[in-house]
Amino acid sequence: MVPTAHTKLSFSLSPLENPILDRLLPEHQRKVLDRLSTGLPLAVTANLISDEDYWKRCCTERWQACDISNYGDSWKQMFFERHLENILKCFIPNTTDPNQVLDLIPLCKDYVRKLEVDQFLPPVQMDQEERDDLSNTGSDFGFGEVSIHHYDLGVLITALPHLEELHLTYGVKDCGMNFEWNLFNFTHQDCCNLAVAVKMCHNLKVFKLTRSKVDDDKTRLLVRNLLDHPCLVELNLSHNLIRDKGAQAVGKLINHSRLQTLDLCNNQIHHLGAQALARALAENSTLTSLNLRLNCVEDKGGEAIGRALLTNTTLKSIHLGSNNLSEPTAMLFSQVLAQNTSLMNINFSCNHLGLDGGKQLLEGLADNKALTKFNLRLAEVGQETEYLIHQIVWANREEMRLGSLQHPPAKPI
Amino acid sequence: MVTNIQVAADLREMQRRAEEAELKLQRVEKLENEAKSSTYKFEEITSKWALAKEMTIPQELWQLLNQQQQQCALLLEEKNKLIGELQQELKNKDEQYVWAIKKQSDDIHLLLERMEEQIRFMLKNYRHELLQIEKAFELERRELLDNNRKKWEEAIQAHNAQELEYLHARMRKVEEFEKQLNQLRVQDEEEYNSMKIQLENDVQNLERQLQQMKAVYQLNQEKLEYNLQVLRKQDEENTIIRSQQKRKLNRLHSLLNNLRTKLANQEKQFREENHSLAADCERITGQCKEVQRRMRHFAISDAEKFTEVWLMNEEEAKGLMRKALDADHVIHTQQLGLPWEEPRYWFLNNVGPLGHYKVKRMATKLAAEVLTESSSGGQEEEGREKEEVGSGEGGKENTAKVGGRVTPLRNISKKTAKRILELISDESGFLIESKLLRSLQALGTHERTLMKLDSIFAALEIDSEDDLYQLVDFFLKYKAQDMAVSQGEGQISKGGATGTGQLQGRGVLGSPGTRYPRANVEAVGCAGGGTGGILRDPHAESQPARRSGPPAAAELGAVPAAGGVHQLRGEQQAALSSHKVDGPEPVLPRGSAVGPQGQGTTFPCPELKLCLEPRLSGKD
Repeated sequence: MVPTAHTKLSFSLSPLENPILDRLLPEHQRKVLDRLSTGLPLAVTANLISDEDYWKRCCTERWQACDISNYGDSWKQMFFERHLENILKCFIPNTTDPNQVLDLIPLCKDYVRKLEVDQFLPPVQMDQEERDDLSNTGSDFGFGEVSIHHYDLGVLITALPHLEELHLTYGVKDCGMNFEWNLFNFTHQDCCNLAVAVKMCHNLKVFKLTRSKVDDDKTRLLVRNLLDHPCLVELNLSHNLIRDKGAQAVGKLINHSRLQTLDLCNNQIHHLGAQALARALAENSTLTSLNLRLNCVEDKGGEAIGRALLTNTTLKSIHLGSNNLSEPTAMLFSQVLAQNTSLMNINFSCNHLGLDGGKQLLEGLADNKALTKFNLRLAEVGQETEYLIHQIVWANREEMRLGSLQHPPAKPI
Repeated sequence: MVTNIQVAADLREMQRRAEEAELKLQRVEKLENEAKSSTYKFEEITSKWALAKEMTIPQELWQLLNQQQQQCALLLEEKNKLIGELQQELKNKDEQYVWAIKKQSDDIHLLLERMEEQIRFMLKNYRHELLQIEKAFELERRELLDNNRKKWEEAIQAHNAQELEYLHARMRKVEEFEKQLNQLRVQDEEEYNSMKIQLENDVQNLERQLQQMKAVYQLNQEKLEYNLQVLRKQDEENTIIRSQQKRKLNRLHSLLNNLRTKLANQEKQFREENHSLAADCERITGQCKEVQRRMRHFAISDAEKFTEVWLMNEEEAKGLMRKALDADHVIHTQQLGLPWEEPRYWFLNNVGPLGHYKVKRMATKLAAEVLTESSSGGQEEEGREKEEVGSGEGGKENTAKVGGRVTPLRNISKKTAKRILELISDESGFLIESKLLRSLQALGTHERTLMKLDSIFAALEIDSEDDLYQLVDFFLKYKAQDMAVSQGEGQISKGGATGTGQLQGRGVLGSPGTRYPRANVEAVGCAGGGTGGILRDPHAESQPARRSGPPAAAELGAVPAAGGVHQLRGEQQAALSSHKVDGPEPVLPRGSAVGPQGQGTTFPCPELKLCLEPRLSGKD
């Protein structure tokens, strides 16, 4: 009798008007969920089934690798986030029906907290000839701007009340021999749409916009919209084309938000931009991590940042690798190391600090007890200095570890 | 290790950028140079075009044109060369790009390899660590297990040992208890047997008793039935009697009412009588007082006269005496030549009459003295009691004795006298007024006796000492006669007659003949013919206590009913005085009934008083 009832139920579950699952006894509910097909339309299951096992089956059937820890340890969240991401990745403007996304919004708006889209397809060209022309000539000019805007996220993002993380990359993956420059074109219109959308998204904490050819103008546009954002904590604009003006805008943003982590690696920031950032840094009390890897800060910018760190007491981690730094910066940073007690992690890899610079840093580090990581690889400071610095840092790290071990037990007393 | 690749890539990228920048610079320079030279050449060529217009000689023009053509070709060639170089460069870049991609893939492979290696290494380490931890844990567990097992075994052993001990103890106890049980069983059996026998005996006894009780029960039942019937009958009788009594009660009520009215009448009558008598009394007391005053007056005058006469005679006597003494003195001194000594006589110094009248003091006073002295002075001697004292009438001698206060009554011992007086006071209570008697109860014995004696003397009119002596003598004589047993009744009666005669002579009993017969008549009327019996009763009771009971009893029996009262009284008094026994005492004072014993039981005292009083008072 029971099995027949269950089969009946499983049949009757498919129509939307008969959601009696909640009213079943726990063991019966269990049985029903175990037999339920994963192919059922989301419109039925999305808001009805909260059982993790069912969504686990859905996820594992659909994707091979499933790391639940990236999705808040929730299979359902993972399913909906990845489902939405897949749809967005395959969305072709002017071709795909926008309702495909809009229909999904009411189903997934309660479960999506993070959107990680690493591909935005450009609209399909009018015809093959034009495309051929483009392939021959249009690569340098950004031809046909009218028609190459990407999908506007505004509608979607503002409809997701729980969205906290947004990772975007305006580019095409696996294009192979079909490579064309205009496949990787983050247009001004796109930027405007995105900036407005992000501004409307009040719960956003993490915003990453990488490998998208964001230049100074777009940066300034974004920053203008992100000023005084209530929640934003982490901003990642790495692998873009930001120059000094963009860096100045970001420096302004630092002191007009709650940013804690800022990543500007692999941009084209020179000493002017670095000085602007340093000025912002000197007054800031929220930023804890700054990444300027693979820029062209050089000694002028390095010295400015060093001076800013003499007064700053919140920054814990700074990455100045591959910035063409040399001895003067090392000298200033030896002072910083002697004075600053909050810095824990410094990265000077791939610079030209030289032997003297290394010794200077060693001297400055002699009395420092806070630094636990100091990366000087390929910085031309000499093996001996590197070794000694390593010793000190290890000692500090050991102390820190012991302190963190002893502190908790000592606290109750 | 892993991040090294990134760093290396960074470095490479940086170097590439630096090279690129340099190359770019070179290229730009080169291009600028090229552009300069080419523009220069182009200007040269264009300047030559103007020159060519001026040329008019065709050979020269042709030469110039050729030259121009060559130069243009040269320029083009240069340009082409530049383009070729740039294209070459582009190709190189492409190759470089391919190479970079290859390098990148290599790097990624390396990265993967290293990561895998690291992962493997870490896995190995973790596995190793896990193993170590497990080993340590196992070791600890084993130790713990061993310890626990040891403890457990020890505990088990201890437990076993204890268990064994307990078992032994239990066995011992069981044996002991079995022994005790057997013992108890035997004992109990014996007890049971004895108890059984005893109980059987008891049962038999009880059955026997039951039978007896049943018999008794039946008997009692019959008795009770009988009693019930009797009681019923009695009840009936009682009802009858009750009705009778009711009737009687009613009758008596009416009688009582009658009597009450009668009483009221009588009371009224008596009150009137009383009033008249009180008036009489007042008159008489007035008269008496008058007489007394007169008497006192006469006594005083007599005494004065007497003293005057006495003084006169004494003067005379003293004068004569003085004369005689003077004569004696003269005779002694002058005639006989003897020294004369004047004799001293008390009477010479005496002035006034001697105290003769003191002898005649009141009998009551004397009696009081006797009583007080005997009580205070103590007994002098018993022997004197027995002395046969003749009734010598040398009454005057006693004056000295009275003065000396040694013995108040001539030869009679104080004790005897006191005894006699006490007896009188006790026995002759009928002479005392009942009112007085009642008031006397409050006084002490001594005073009571005195008062009684006083009233008795008053009744008997014994005023003087001599009368008292006479009385005492009479009793003594009677006793002496009584002691002489041989003397018969006659003597006694004679003595009694004398006693009574004496008494009668004094008018104590007024007219006894009239009085006592009446009393006797009353006594007879009340007690019917049992006077003798009634009279005899108290005597019979007191007989054993009396020494000389038989004669008295015989006498009583012989006394005729009518005149016996006198006799009886006399006898009684005589007997009392002579025997000094307590026998009759309880009879007489008992009911405080005054009068002859015969009447004592039947007559209430007020009536006697009523009978006696008027006569006593009226006699005066």
